[in-house]
Amino acid sequence: MTDDRQLSQLLRTALPSADIPEPSRDLWPDIVQRAGMRERVSAADLSVAAMVVIALLLFPRWFWFLAYHL
Amino acid sequence: MPDGLDGELLERFVQGDQAAFESLFRQFEADVYRWIVRIVRDRSAADDVLVEAFWRAYRGRAGFDPTRSFGAWMRRIASNAALDHLRAARTRAGWRTADDRIPSAPPPDRAIEESITQAFRSLPPRLQIVATLALVEEQPYAEIAEALDLPVGTIKSRVFRATRLLRKELARLGITT
Repeated sequence: MTDDRQLSQLLRTALPSADIPEPSRDLWPDIVQRAGMRERVSAADLSVAAMVVIALLLFPRWFWFLAYHL
Repeated sequence: MPDGLDGELLERFVQGDQAAFESLFRQFEADVYRWIVRIVRDRSAADDVLVEAFWRAYRGRAGFDPTRSFGAWMRRIASNAALDHLRAARTRAGWRTADDRIPSAPPPDRAIEESITQAFRSLPPRLQIVATLALVEEQPYAEIAEALDLPVGTIKSRVFRATRLLRKELARLGITT
């Protein structure tokens, strides 16, 4: 037996088995939840954005004030 | 299509269609999962890495070329996610240099297995991943290279370095190969 073969065999004996054919449960809901969490823009964010746009339309001179504070 | 997939399904996935994404997930979940388990060798970690890998695929869908193999692309993403998991696990475990450990007398079988696992886990993650796939899982170098998006020469050199480090560490622990 070559040294490499012996080392491979030692590792296979010692490391946990990889004989797990499928996940323990359906993981699709987790992926959907994760995608939703990252992609969803909160109502608060939308409200702030809308208020900024309205403020700029009504008072264009506030641009630099808002740019400084946001 | 390389995977025998409907081109329209892949186009819809790239455009962000959730039903197309679910269909691809259902078709590739088992294959990607088995690949991840080979690397992380832990069921609960594999579940987390699978979710992370498909999430990354969805997030990076605009970069996928629908004329290429979805399976190979997904395997590359899964390999990177698994590698990140190994890095995080290593950070959590805390870094200990080999010299911090005190060599002991030749231990009984169970202790030998623990020493081997310890030596293996002490490898840098980028060497650990190729050592797992090449030495333990006996995957062809070309397949490992494709999954890690690296040249075959780099894989060979990493396997060589991993083997050398493992032998050195095992010898220190009183285990000769």
